[in-house]
Amino acid sequence: MPRSWILVPVSKPEQIEQASRSGADAIVLDLVELIAENDKRAGRANVQAAIRTAKAGAAQVFVQIDPQSLDADLNACVWPEPDGIVMSRVESPEQIAHADAALSRLEHERGVAPGTLKIVAAVETARGNHAAYDIARASPRVRALTLGRADLVMDLRAEPSHEIHLMPYLMQRLIIIARAAGVAPIGAWWRAPDRGLLATPENTYEAAQRGRAIGFKGAMCLRANQVEPLNRAFARDASPRLNG
Amino acid sequence: MPVVTPRFIDHAWRRGCDFIVIDLEDSVPQHLKAHARSLVKDAIPKVSKGGAEAFTRINHDSVLADLEAIVWPGLKRVKYPKTEHAEEVRLLDSIITRLERERGIPPGTIEIDPGIETALGTANIFEIAGASPRVREFGASTGGYDYSRDLGVEMFVDFDQFVYAKGEAELAARTLGLGVRGAPFVANTTGSVSDGGRALLQAEAARQCGFHLGGGGLNPAVVESHNQGLTPTEDDVRDAHWVLEQYRRLISTGETWIEVEGRVIDRYEAARARDTLEWAALCAERDRQKAEAVARTRAEMAKQDPAALK
Repeated sequence: MPRSWILVPVSKPEQIEQASRSGADAIVLDLVELIAENDKRAGRANVQAAIRTAKAGAAQVFVQIDPQSLDADLNACVWPEPDGIVMSRVESPEQIAHADAALSRLEHERGVAPGTLKIVAAVETARGNHAAYDIARASPRVRALTLGRADLVMDLRAEPSHEIHLMPYLMQRLIIIARAAGVAPIGAWWRAPDRGLLATPENTYEAAQRGRAIGFKGAMCLRANQVEPLNRAFARDASPRLNG
Repeated sequence: MPVVTPRFIDHAWRRGCDFIVIDLEDSVPQHLKAHARSLVKDAIPKVSKGGAEAFTRINHDSVLADLEAIVWPGLKRVKYPKTEHAEEVRLLDSIITRLERERGIPPGTIEIDPGIETALGTANIFEIAGASPRVREFGASTGGYDYSRDLGVEMFVDFDQFVYAKGEAELAARTLGLGVRGAPFVANTTGSVSDGGRALLQAEAARQCGFHLGGGGLNPAVVESHNQGLTPTEDDVRDAHWVLEQYRRLISTGETWIEVEGRVIDRYEAARARDTLEWAALCAERDRQKAEAVARTRAEMAKQDPAALK
């Protein structure tokens, strides 16, 4: 499972190139969060070129899509094939089932081996979190769960303790559900002043270490300089050992 | 406040509260319960004279007798303590529905606030919160005495001991689309319920987390702190205008976010800023309503008995 996932707008070739040189284990080409509503149509037309650019490096490539425009987004991204999709704002197992069926059809039409494309489910709303266990089990394609930008989507702000309101609960809940369903929990334990996957490299490292300590396997970020701290914190041999 | 203590009820309208809870439960001794019930009908208009909404907290085990005594015009909400099952809420709903009809109260207007104070209630929280359309606000409490006792959790510690219970309550409220009460953690290591300074910190933390609803207090000394802490400050309002100005600039560039003076500006920050401005306007409107109600009450009292008005 990738240690570092960097989210880049599908419409920004220079950022995609930078991401492919960043050392990220996975690049997520975004059609949802980082692209203005008016640019989405043009963004979909860019996906194939963006996948090629991103695949130039060794990273896995995912496309973040919107369940609200599922078919258009999926049509844009099944060939040349990414490693999978990140479904933003998933709220129900039915949405996953719908995506699963659409992916199977597109795999068949475009000569991609059946079941190749993975799904990372981003539960970013209350409904999505409430239904997370059913979402995680809705298709064998689902390999990971993440809270994505839940702090922003649910408008969760900093408490006086610097914890982001409700996030300690949501993180632990997500991790337990992911483990129970046999998928990977993706995330880091961000604290104020960090918000929405943005932080200094130092804070990113600390957030990733805390995240790793409570069970996350790899985290998402938005900036190239956050990749190295994520790789370091989530490295297989980086777990702190107790000294006898 | 205990309905059996006349001086509390008589002066309640002067306190500046947004809502007042007339209590039949823990603050009323067992031998006075019947007497207490007989007082609620008159207490409702009394506590409302300053513009506050009137709530009544009933007893867990005498629902029918309590509701018969309290469901009168002017009552806004029934607080039901120690809710453990959705059926309890449905029972309340059916009795209130009948009493609304019998007593000429517009149907469906009286709300139910099911309090969660036990482990069993927490385990059934989602069904409880969704059990009636009369439940319009729901969410976390800071953990009262009963909740702490039932869960075996200490009340006055310097870390957030209710992460799970509060999270369950809030996730249910948000999932069901109810008004959300949040309880950001603010340490209370002294055990005081009348400490205005601490109440202010709690209310400010709630406001800074984006909440508009307070959980209420047990002492008049905390009312002003709650009102003040939950109302956006002038700085908040100024900052919100600044964020929206930056956001308008961002929109014209076609980008989805920029960093200005070390802060991220994007649609989420813009939404928070708009929320702050709307909330500030609602607070001002509520303060105006309360001031009008108080002025009206004072004028009436002066007419009836000039000496009574201090």
